[in-house]
Amino acid sequence: MSLSRPGDAAAFRVGDRLAGQEPWEVYGERIRRYEVHFSGDRVEMIRGPIALEGYGLRLFRRRDEVTGVGHQASNDLTDEGIRAAAADAERGARYASFPTSQLQLPGGHGATGGIVEVLDRGLWEYPMDSLDSFVATLRDTFEGRKEVAPSFGSVRATLSEVSICNSSGLRTGYGHTTVELELGVKAFGGPEGPAPGEFWVNESDRRLRPIELPQRVDEWCRYAEDVRRGRPPPTGEMAVVMPPSVLAGILPIVFGGRFTGAARIRHVAPTAGMRLGAELASIHDDGRVPWAPMSSPVDDEGVPQRRRTLLDHGAVSTILYDSLHAGAFETQSTGSGFRGLSSSFRSWYRFLKPPDVSASTIALDPGTGGTDAELVESAGEGIWVQQIGWSSPDPLTGAFGGEIRLGYRIRGGKLAESIRGGTVGGIALAAEGSPSLMTRLEAIGSKASLSEPVSSPPVLVRPLVVAGE
Amino acid sequence: MGELSDAEDHLYRAVARLAERGPFVEVMAQAAAGLSIHFDGHETSFQAPARLRGAIFRGWTRTGWAEASVSGLDPASLKFAEGALERVLVHRPAHDNPPGVSSTARIDKATPMRRPMQDLDEEYLRNLAQEAFTWTTETADVHETRVQIGWRVEDRLYLNSTGARCNQEICRVRATILPVAMENGRVESDRYIHGGVGGSDILDGVDPEKARKAAERARALLHAKSPPAGKLAVLLAPSVTGYFAHESFGHGAEADQFVRNRSYLKPILGQVVGPEILTIVDNGAYPGAWSEIYCDDEGQPAQRTVLVDHGRFTGALHDRNTAAALGALPTGNARRSDFLSRSLVRMTNTYVEPGENTYEELVKEARNGVLLEAGAAGIEDPQGGQIQLKARMGHLIENGEVTDLVSSMALSGRVLEFLASIRGVSGREDFALDTGSCAKGKADFLPNAAGGPYLLASAVVGRA
Repeated sequence: MSLSRPGDAAAFRVGDRLAGQEPWEVYGERIRRYEVHFSGDRVEMIRGPIALEGYGLRLFRRRDEVTGVGHQASNDLTDEGIRAAAADAERGARYASFPTSQLQLPGGHGATGGIVEVLDRGLWEYPMDSLDSFVATLRDTFEGRKEVAPSFGSVRATLSEVSICNSSGLRTGYGHTTVELELGVKAFGGPEGPAPGEFWVNESDRRLRPIELPQRVDEWCRYAEDVRRGRPPPTGEMAVVMPPSVLAGILPIVFGGRFTGAARIRHVAPTAGMRLGAELASIHDDGRVPWAPMSSPVDDEGVPQRRRTLLDHGAVSTILYDSLHAGAFETQSTGSGFRGLSSSFRSWYRFLKPPDVSASTIALDPGTGGTDAELVESAGEGIWVQQIGWSSPDPLTGAFGGEIRLGYRIRGGKLAESIRGGTVGGIALAAEGSPSLMTRLEAIGSKASLSEPVSSPPVLVRPLVVAGE
Repeated sequence: MGELSDAEDHLYRAVARLAERGPFVEVMAQAAAGLSIHFDGHETSFQAPARLRGAIFRGWTRTGWAEASVSGLDPASLKFAEGALERVLVHRPAHDNPPGVSSTARIDKATPMRRPMQDLDEEYLRNLAQEAFTWTTETADVHETRVQIGWRVEDRLYLNSTGARCNQEICRVRATILPVAMENGRVESDRYIHGGVGGSDILDGVDPEKARKAAERARALLHAKSPPAGKLAVLLAPSVTGYFAHESFGHGAEADQFVRNRSYLKPILGQVVGPEILTIVDNGAYPGAWSEIYCDDEGQPAQRTVLVDHGRFTGALHDRNTAAALGALPTGNARRSDFLSRSLVRMTNTYVEPGENTYEELVKEARNGVLLEAGAAGIEDPQGGQIQLKARMGHLIENGEVTDLVSSMALSGRVLEFLASIRGVSGREDFALDTGSCAKGKADFLPNAAGGPYLLASAVVGRA
C-alpha cells in the first residue's frame, strides 16, 4: 500500500528543509495505535487512536578517515522544530566518530524493494472494528470451557506509515501493520488437584487472524492444563527438542549480535569458512518472509531487504551490514539497518533511535528429521521444551538459558508427562571447535513454520544441560 | 525545562472544560532532555532524548476510563486531544464517580543537584568516557571496553479536576563500563555500573578500581568452569537478591494481579510466608535511588510500602482502581511508561531489608553450594508462583569456603518453597541497589531499582 499522502510524509517534510546540510537521512513515521485490554472476559479499557508522528534525522560529517554521525529524533514538524532537531544532530556529529570515510547512502527515487506482505488491509481500513471483532471471537472461543479461562490480556494494533529519504535522492515509503497479543490462559485446579496454572501467550504478528483462534485456543488451553500438572525435569545432560517458538527467543539475538559488521569492527565476528554449526545447519537472514515481524520491503535506511546465507552447512558464509558498517569495510549494505531494537523487543515506534545493524528473520533450512513425532522418536529419552520463561541470550558470550515454563518428558521415543520448572541452557554459538547448540544439532524437522523472527522446523539438540529435581 | 510550564495554562483550562462533561478528569504531560555517550575505542556516538513531548488525558465514563493522548504540547495538539476525550465523555456520560481516591496533592519538586547535569556538554562526556576506557584496557586479554555515560531529566506535570497539581523533575545519571575479554574465540564480559538520581556529582563516584576489577573478572571468566546443576544451597549476591525481591514480591504484589485473580499471593495476604529475618519493601520515596519519584501518575505521593514484614505478607502495591476493589488505599504505584502508555500498578525501588548475618557466616552456613553474582535478568509467573533469576557469574562454595569461579547460570523455583528455605540475610554493610528497568509483559519499560544484601536459601540452578 502506498502512503496516503506521500508528499506530506514526515520524512519528506523534514528532508525538504535540510537543503545545504548534506549528507543527511530522515526516517519518518505516522502512526495510529489501538488497544483493547481485558481482564477475564471483561473489557478493561479501550485505547485509541493513539496518534504519533515523528522522525529521526541523521547528519554525517566526514573528518579525515572518520565520519561524525549525529542523530536527533523529534515529533515537532514545524520549521522551528526541524531546525532545533538538526542543530542537535549537528552538535552530536561534531564530537562523534565512526571509522569510515566511505559512507554510501542508498539513492534513487522509488527504491521500493518490491512487495512484501506486511500490511493487514482489513485492520488498516477498519482498525477498531477489526480489534472488537477479534476480541469478541476470542471471548466466544473460550465460552463453555469449564476448567480454563482467559485471566487477562490485550490486543494492540499499530498502523504505521514509514517514509525514508536522504540526500542521495532516496524517497521511499511503505505501510505496515503490527499486532501484539498478550493473553494469560488459566487452568483452574480443583480442591483435589494441583494449584491453578497459566500459559502465557505473548506474541507479535503482522495481522489479526480470528479464523485461526478456535484451533489456537484449544492448543493454549491444553498447554495451560499441562502447566498446571507439570513437574520439574530430572537433572543432567539429555536430548532436547526445541520448536521454533523457543528458537525465536535465542537465535535472532545471538546471530544478530555476532554475524554483523558491528561485531566485525570489534573483532568478535566469525570469518567466512569457520565451522560454527553442524553439517546439517544452514541458516539465513531473510527480511522478506511474508508476515514476519522484521520483514519490510526496505530496511530503515531504505536499502531493499534480501535473503542472505549466514551458515551454509555449518560453515560461516556472510555477515550483515548497514550503510555505516558497510562503508567501514568497503562493501555493500545488506539491508540490515534497523531502528527500535532493544534486547529482544522492538518498539512500536522506531524513529527515536538511530539504526543499528541487526538480523531480520532467522530462517533455518528444513532437514530430514521428519514430523514432530519422528523427531521425538529420534530423541528416545529427553525433553521437549515448549516454552522458556526468558532465554536471556547474551549476544557477546552466546550463552542462553532460562526456566522451563512448559515442556514434556520424552520417554521411549514418545511424548510423556508435562514439565514445569527447572532450567535448560548452554551456549548457542561458540568459538570454532567448541560445543554449542549449533554444533550439537542432531536433527532438524522437515517442515518450517514462522514464529516471530524465526522461520524453522523443530530441532533436536543432543545434549543440553537440564537442571531440575 | 520550560515546555511544561508554557503548556500548563492550556492544560489547566482543558481539564476545567472537560470537568464540565464528567465527574473526574486528569492529564499528565511529559517532556525530557539529556545526553548520553557511547565510546568503545572504535566508535563514539551521542544520543539525546527525542524531542518528544506530549500529554495524555483520562476521564471517567459510563463504561470506565477513557483516554486520549497526543504528541505535542502546542495549543492545537492539546485541543485535538481534549476534543477526542470530550466526544467520549459526551457519548458515554458517567453515572457515578470513579473508583478510589482522587488526589488533591500539591507537589512541586525537582531532583536536588549540587552540580546540574545541564552544565556538562559533549566534550566533557567524551573526555570522561575516554578516561574510563583506559582504566580497563590495560588488563591482559581485555579485548575492548564499552563505556556509556548519560543523563536524562524528565519533567512530568499532573493536573486533575479535584485540584491536584504535581510537578516533578527527576534527573537520572548513570555510567556503565563493560570490559570484554576474548581468548581463542571465547568471549566473556562483566560490567561496572554506577548511577542514581542527582546531578553531575554522581559521576564523581565512578570508581576506577571497580572498573578494573570488572575487567579482571571478565578475563577470569574466560577460564571459568561451568556451573553445577541441580538443587543446591544458593547464596545470592545483592544484585541477585534484588531480582528475587522484584520478581517474587514485587510483581506478585502488584494488586492488578489480585483484581484479575491472577496472583498466587492473593489468598495468603496476612499470612506468614517466610522466616522472621525476611522483610521486603517497595519504596518510591527512597532518596537518590534510581526509581525515586515524588508522586505517581495519579498524583499520589510516593511512599514506602512494606510487602513482607518479618516473614509476614502484609501489603500490596495499588493504584486507585485496585485500592478501591480491595478496600485499601493507593500506595503511589500508578505509573505510565510515558504519555503514550496506560497507567499500570508498577514497582519503584524494591528490596530486601538488611538482616543480621555476616557474609562469612552465610558462606559457612551454605557449606556446599553456589554463590550467584552479577544479577542479569529475572522473570516471574504471578499465577504459578515461579521465578527465574539469571546471574552472569558466580563461585562454587565448597566446605564452607568460596572457591572456583563459574560462568553464567539461572535459578528457578517456586517462590513459597524458596522463602521457606531462606536461612540467612546479611547486614547493612552489604546492602546495594541497582539501576535497572522493568517491563510489564513485553512493553511499558520504566526505571526500576532492586537490591538488598546477601541472602542464603536453596533452589534449582542450571547453566544459562
